[in-house]
Amino acid sequence: MAGMSSKRLQKELVKIQGTLPPGISLVSADNLREWLMDLSIPDNPIYPPTDTYRLRFLFSQSYPIEAPEVTFLPLQSPERKIPLHPHIYTNGIICLDLLDAQGWSPVHNVESICISIQSMLAGNTKAERPPGDAEFVRSNRSRPRDINFLYHDPSV
Amino acid sequence: MASYQADRLKEKGNVAFRNASFPEAEDFYTQAIQKYSNNPLIFTNRANARLKLQRWEGAVNDCLKSIEITGPNGQNHKAFYFLAQAQLALHHPHEALSSALTAYEQVRSPAPNAKIGPKDLETFSGFVLRCKKAKFAVRDRERLRREGDLGAELEESLEAQKQRELDLVSAQLERVELGQVEASERGEEILENFDRKVAELRAVFAAADPTNHKSREIPDHLVDMITFEPMHDPVITKNGHSYERATIYEHLKRSPTDPLTRDPLTIPELRSNFGLKAACDEFWESGASDWIGDW
Repeated sequence: MAGMSSKRLQKELVKIQGTLPPGISLVSADNLREWLMDLSIPDNPIYPPTDTYRLRFLFSQSYPIEAPEVTFLPLQSPERKIPLHPHIYTNGIICLDLLDAQGWSPVHNVESICISIQSMLAGNTKAERPPGDAEFVRSNRSRPRDINFLYHDPSV
Repeated sequence: MASYQADRLKEKGNVAFRNASFPEAEDFYTQAIQKYSNNPLIFTNRANARLKLQRWEGAVNDCLKSIEITGPNGQNHKAFYFLAQAQLALHHPHEALSSALTAYEQVRSPAPNAKIGPKDLETFSGFVLRCKKAKFAVRDRERLRREGDLGAELEESLEAQKQRELDLVSAQLERVELGQVEASERGEEILENFDRKVAELRAVFAAADPTNHKSREIPDHLVDMITFEPMHDPVITKNGHSYERATIYEHLKRSPTDPLTRDPLTIPELRSNFGLKAACDEFWESGASDWIGDW
């Protein structure tokens, strides 16, 4: 039913416009298909506190039964880089279990995804890209959720 | 023979319906019914065409006819669903809710050979909620108006009482039973009393008025964690968490896991949560429709 995703997102939007945890902010939610969020990372020298990263959420009609597509979005102005992390490719695709079909659960929401990504970055100790990054970025044509990631290093 | 011709006409109607030519579809179904009037499906199809044409009364009649043919306990969830839509459009939310609940129950535990669409449970469940909101919104609006009337009536009688007391004082003054000073003191006392009582009366009514409760939220335990909507048919998992039946079914079709714990979970393992259902019903009865908001 088309109604499910739009109603749920309207309700999430009301909540998000209220309060969000520090370092997470809503940039735009002009429609119920695409939302932009900004993220900053406290207490990790890899990510200077002045840097902000932009997340793009794409929702299907079946959200929240289906996971949203969440990627980092590079921008010139204001400057938004793709954060350096062994599970984040230079094209912005994030390898995170809760975002793929097996790991997703409909009780997650935009805020909880942002918190998960923020803490994944906050806890990171390796300033590097995933192995095979250049090759993946060159050859990948799939949507993020159709990619079968190997979780090569679950400790990260 | 007649039923064969009717089926041909019904098929033509279906084609017209799929092409969104609803007046044409309605016409073919009418011709089909003229040939053979004992097929409930032709009536439900014509009802659907009439819903698209916003001919609500015609749609209601077709649904009732279709239900009459299948019998009161026969599987006919589409007729009940279309009936509910027409009744809601005609501002009969009580009847609409009861039809929607019948449709929902019929897809929840269908007859053995029933054809149930993959989205029917979810769609009907959403529609039950819509009817519920409409029904209680009407009821709460009526109650507010009655309370408004009652408040106005009480204020008027306080006003009348004040006037009687003031008249009495001026009569006593005229008959020189009271001095000028005493009379004006009594008059002030009466006015003060009146103002205080009106203020108290208004405060009591304001406190009872649910429109003043906008900031309140639906209690979390009555809200489905997947749709964020209030529940009306909650089921409980092995881990003790409850969800709206239609949405957890939808999730389990894709991923047979508990949404919170990721433990394996299947539909037959779910149980109705009657206690929570009662709490949900009570919530609607409590005049909460005003702060449920958008629908």
